[in-house]
Amino acid sequence: MGKCAALALRLIGREGTHVPGRIALWVCPDLLAVIARPETVIVVTGTNGKTTTTNLLADALSALDLSVSTNRAGSNLRDGIVASLVSGVNIWGKNRRDVAVLEMDERSALRVLPQLAPDIVVCTNLTRDSIKRNAHPEFIAWILTSAISPTTTLVLNSDDLITVSLGGDSNRRVFFGVDPTGDESSEPSGSAVDASICPRCDERLQWVFWRFNHIGRVRCPVCGFTSPVADIRVSPVDSLTGLRSLAINTESVSVRLANDSIVNVYNVAAVAATLDVLAVEPTVIGSIVESLTPPPSRFADETIGGVRLVRLLTKGLVGVAVSRAFAHILSVPGRKAILLAVDETTDRFDGVENTAWTYDADYEYLADPSIAAIYVGGVRRHDQALRLAMAGVDPDKIVLDESETRGADLVVLDGIDAIFNLHSNHNAVSTGDAVHGKLRTRLLELSS
Amino acid sequence: MTLTIEMLFPEIANLYGDNANIEFLSRCLPEARIVRTGLNETPQFVTGNVDLVYLGPLTERGQLRAISRLIPHKARIVELIDSGTHFLFTHNAMECLGARIVNAEMNYDEPGVGIFDFSTEVGMFDRYTGKVMGNCDGVSEPVVGYKSQFSMVSSSPEIPGFMRTTRGIGRNPTTHVEGVRRNNFIGTSLIGPVLVMNPHLTQWLLASLSPSPTPPLALRELALAAYNARLREFHDERTWSAFERVAD
Repeated sequence: MGKCAALALRLIGREGTHVPGRIALWVCPDLLAVIARPETVIVVTGTNGKTTTTNLLADALSALDLSVSTNRAGSNLRDGIVASLVSGVNIWGKNRRDVAVLEMDERSALRVLPQLAPDIVVCTNLTRDSIKRNAHPEFIAWILTSAISPTTTLVLNSDDLITVSLGGDSNRRVFFGVDPTGDESSEPSGSAVDASICPRCDERLQWVFWRFNHIGRVRCPVCGFTSPVADIRVSPVDSLTGLRSLAINTESVSVRLANDSIVNVYNVAAVAATLDVLAVEPTVIGSIVESLTPPPSRFADETIGGVRLVRLLTKGLVGVAVSRAFAHILSVPGRKAILLAVDETTDRFDGVENTAWTYDADYEYLADPSIAAIYVGGVRRHDQALRLAMAGVDPDKIVLDESETRGADLVVLDGIDAIFNLHSNHNAVSTGDAVHGKLRTRLLELSS
Repeated sequence: MTLTIEMLFPEIANLYGDNANIEFLSRCLPEARIVRTGLNETPQFVTGNVDLVYLGPLTERGQLRAISRLIPHKARIVELIDSGTHFLFTHNAMECLGARIVNAEMNYDEPGVGIFDFSTEVGMFDRYTGKVMGNCDGVSEPVVGYKSQFSMVSSSPEIPGFMRTTRGIGRNPTTHVEGVRRNNFIGTSLIGPVLVMNPHLTQWLLASLSPSPTPPLALRELALAAYNARLREFHDERTWSAFERVAD
């Protein structure tokens, strides 16, 4: 039956969407268990970075001359995963790929992992996400642990205490981490710190270093519990050489990464750890990760007439993502203006958005003297204004408008060094593009 | 007189932005002393005077941890509730004080602190999300808020609620009675910063905590603007779904 489904779908030829997967599962509900599969099946999951890590890993394996099935262009739910596997079989139902690299939505784990039983599960991190869908990261960790096969090797972020809790006694674990630069804090700040107590004795943990959310290294002052030591570690950039040290177990290679953002470094560390599990030589891993280029981000930064115009995806409903965007704003020098439009548009016509998530986000970053004005657009502008004021932003700096785009006309450009266009996923085109176009036009006019 | 607000177990009871409730109170009561009591510490209310005891949302395992820390102090909590000390337990914190919590998917059936005669059933694959609007004794305007929860509370309707919903479900989909109220104990399963979202409720609580003089509401204009905008939308029939109705 599985072969029949696969054959039919190969003939239909609709790769890269969830449709073939849905049809295949209708024909053969246990297709994930019976389909001819590559010799190695890798699942990549986690709250942030799973798409990028999947793409980087697929690129890395392709660079090793392996043929790869992946859902790069498709859905990360069960249907999309099935569709990717189907795309890897020929009309006789025989597997024609060496390896599958499958991005998986965390909440789909129970519908995927028990049947698929992948060889490797990579988890990038588990942090707070949508309150409505994901509740809290401990819930997601519970789902994953409930679904993970005892024979699966886990590639886990050692700097995330929730992620390292995944799996059972029989799972082999390989940890990756990123060494501190020295700029980190030893005290967490912010709203969303989800690993504060020792998993053994409930005592408050001490932070060896704290990076963001609950990412960092901890130790328990009472029982001695510590974060696991990473098997694969990436060092900070050497200021003289521009190189990083990639430590793989007992060996070390020097690498220069295409993107030095901490998010990308974690993704690359996850890829290196997975390659190590696949017994790739450290020197080969080093040369491969140097060649990896992260896909274009939903981020744009240009300077027009001496003013930086930065467009930043600021995923509404997800406080931790919003916090990262706000932290980035603070890292940019000069006097700044912000246009903020992050309403959940799906709640606009048949619901009323719950803005509790804004109190899981660190709006406190915006209470900085370098920020001259914040233009808030959208239906929930009054909630946003209240949140900003609760964070310590001077209410006189907050300008409200029902329109999500009019802020681009209202923003005062005199004396501003950088303007930030913050929008969410759903309004990326309707608001993000429109605001960006207006701001570019105004800045070009000013500079001409 | 300096008011003391005790936040219980903030290292684990910190989900969904609910701690903004205490941040907002401390803005309104700048002289108030905020005590943060960790899991492995003895609560201040056990041996000293506290004006408001707060417990926020917990993970499922966090609920069990909180229960284990509170059970030894059951008699003291009852004494404080009976004598009029203020309590605010938001989201699933309230469930800790019930008779028991049953979670079939996580395979446990555990007794709660046992102060209130209700029980909680947790369904890890049955998360309910919806809006709530209703009336709360003493509060001049409707209370608005949200539920987003794995659990439903079952109890006798005779146990007084925190509010009676006019729209949206109460303790469970068959009742308009939401939360628990006994003297100055408020338990509500509403999620998020309920006090920030409801300035009239907060003003009432402030008057109860500090009657003379009643402190002014912090960020009053902004809070009222946000509340009024949300209330207008909550009054719009089109924003309500069938699943948000009580099955009478």
